[in-house]
Amino acid sequence: MSSAPPRPHLLSGNTTGLRLARHTLTLIALAVLLAPLADLAVLSRDPWAELGRIAKGLALPDIGAVEDPFTAIGLTIGVALWGTAAGVILGFPLALLFSRSRLIRAGCAFVRAIHELFWALLFLQVFGLSAVTALAALAIPYAGIFAKVYAEIFEQVPGAARNALPQGVGRLSRFAYTELPLALGQLAAYTRYRFECGLRASVLLGFVGLPTLGFQLETAFREGRYAEAGALLWLFYLLIASLPLWAHRRMLPLLALGSIFLLGPWPDIDAGLVTRFVTQDIWPRALLEGDASGLAAWFQAIPELLPAIGNTLLLGLLGSVGALLVALILWPLASRHFGTVASRLAGTGLLIFLRSTPELLLAFVFLLLLGPSLLPAWIALALHNGALIAFLVARHADNLRPGMPSTSASGRLAYELLPRVYPAMLALLYYRAEVILRETALLGMLGVATLGYVIDDYFQTLMFDVAFFLLLVTAGLNIVVDALARRLRPSETPMDDPCLR
Amino acid sequence: MSETPLACFEAEDLGHGEHRVLSAVTLSLLPGQRIALLGASGVGKSTLLAALRQRLGARGAWCPQHHGLVPQLAVYHNVYMGRLEHHSALANLWNLARPLKGPWNDVAGLCDELGLTGLMRRPVGRLSGGQRQRVAIARAFYQQREVFLGDEPVASVDPHQALALLERIDTRHAGSVIALHQRELALSHCDRVWGLADGRVVIDAPSHELSLADLDALYPSAEGRTRSLPPSNAPVSANADDVTRPLDATPPCSRGRQ
Repeated sequence: MSSAPPRPHLLSGNTTGLRLARHTLTLIALAVLLAPLADLAVLSRDPWAELGRIAKGLALPDIGAVEDPFTAIGLTIGVALWGTAAGVILGFPLALLFSRSRLIRAGCAFVRAIHELFWALLFLQVFGLSAVTALAALAIPYAGIFAKVYAEIFEQVPGAARNALPQGVGRLSRFAYTELPLALGQLAAYTRYRFECGLRASVLLGFVGLPTLGFQLETAFREGRYAEAGALLWLFYLLIASLPLWAHRRMLPLLALGSIFLLGPWPDIDAGLVTRFVTQDIWPRALLEGDASGLAAWFQAIPELLPAIGNTLLLGLLGSVGALLVALILWPLASRHFGTVASRLAGTGLLIFLRSTPELLLAFVFLLLLGPSLLPAWIALALHNGALIAFLVARHADNLRPGMPSTSASGRLAYELLPRVYPAMLALLYYRAEVILRETALLGMLGVATLGYVIDDYFQTLMFDVAFFLLLVTAGLNIVVDALARRLRPSETPMDDPCLR
Repeated sequence: MSETPLACFEAEDLGHGEHRVLSAVTLSLLPGQRIALLGASGVGKSTLLAALRQRLGARGAWCPQHHGLVPQLAVYHNVYMGRLEHHSALANLWNLARPLKGPWNDVAGLCDELGLTGLMRRPVGRLSGGQRQRVAIARAFYQQREVFLGDEPVASVDPHQALALLERIDTRHAGSVIALHQRELALSHCDRVWGLADGRVVIDAPSHELSLADLDALYPSAEGRTRSLPPSNAPVSANADDVTRPLDATPPCSRGRQ
């Protein structure tokens, strides 16, 4: 009688599922191991009463309390539209040179690695609270993003049409007749997606004082006028949800022309001031004077550097792992394979609500509830990004057809669907990890002790040299984490669309 | 032979880079020859055609496999691309915004000839397979070159249309090398057959010296079947039979036809 081969040990084996399960458990173990290092204390005394008031504000919004909502909305759209357009104009030529120049690739990676809000903080110092600041804050990082994504799209254009051309066709004619028309659809889709991101970013710019929707939102929240805040939040959701209605190809030029009047008044740009800021203010004096020991002393005078970097990385890791867990739990709620019509509707609604709410705002609310530790930031990052991934995974799963549809729900989840969607889910998470890290810095502006907090602090005390140095550190950190995430990302990804990142 | 060949290969290996597809190719293409290129898929027909295209340079009009069209551009622009190198970059760019007068009229003539009347402004992505095929042929015609090089240029049209298109190719071009799947068309229409199998040229003979059975040897997996299967087992070829029956009475094999 032949005996069965030895039974495999727990989680041992070489299938994709088991490999990714080990990968995930390692990630979770790392997060659990490092979590005690994070400050996760609850500092607020009575969070529930506050939460109740916020919920009441959301449920019973007072649109009458909002001062001049149309100007704020118009400005939000205008900044997003013109910022994205400027990003396209800057990014498109860079995309054509992207694969040829290491310098351009590095430059693009650098400008991408700094969040829109930090660019805004930087430009605020020279252009003041003006549309120039807002547009530049969007246009510069977007130029880097467009350059990279457009270049990827051009690279993937099928070569058949190009090869069919007669010999001796010039570079420009070849581009205009084959590469450009073949790529145009994807370029437009990505630009559209970026415009949506720009809309969210435009709202966020209100948090540094630019008069977009976010400005009133932040003030109302900070001052506890939750009925007004609720009304503004609903306006924002409405704006995002109605995007397909008003962001029509024929409407956009009209919107662009209309909103340009809201962007003014344009500031007088003092060239001398700008030059001084760029050549002197943002560099340590010791460096400009070539004083090495002075530079060392300057460096040692930044006491918060290491803890801030530690907190940023820790929050990035915790946020990513949290997002993964949230996504794992939430995606079945919005998938057609599980639950009833009602539960799916509720699940989808929850996911759309969580992914549409800017993470800064989520963090802001949790901060009010839980006090300024890493905990509210962690929850906000995990919920927002987890919901975003869950939504995409649910849509992906809806396109799959289980081979044995009559099995129980748990069987369907564990044997049919999860093995199929999990690689994509993990890949999305790794794409997201870099975004999450960028956002951790951002949450610093709310008082969470990450690099962003320190940067904001130095900008407020007008120590631009230190602030700029910390921005460089942040960018470097992002580039390293992005490279790491790219290496760890599973390669089998059925959802590799730039519009999903 | 008195005529100088347009292109010739003497015991040459052909392939892409390091990867050798065809070995010891010895062939020559004379002016005015109409050659059918036969062989199972993947045997190297496209490789040989690409090599010929390179040899012929500005004398070869090119109609690639799967057309190589730009679906987003209109029929007119796709055909115009055949002579892209004859205009300046500026003229080419302007032509995208407003078609140039001369080319527009020339292309209109070609479209009428190929049954694409009224479709000049339609994006190629919205055409049927057969229409796309004819756009690709129109583009090759528009190049106005001596030898038509076609990689399965009549693969996605029915046999009647295929024959009509081959006749159009003959009137437009002095010579041609055309990769075909339809062996019957090769014998009835072309004056010479190049047959590829096992990475080599195994047939290089005038078509009147060949029978369908000779050509069957090019499709190894079909060999046993052609004799054992009754004709009713090849319903896909019902249409083609009308054209080909007079040539040969052997039951047609479904392979190499499609």
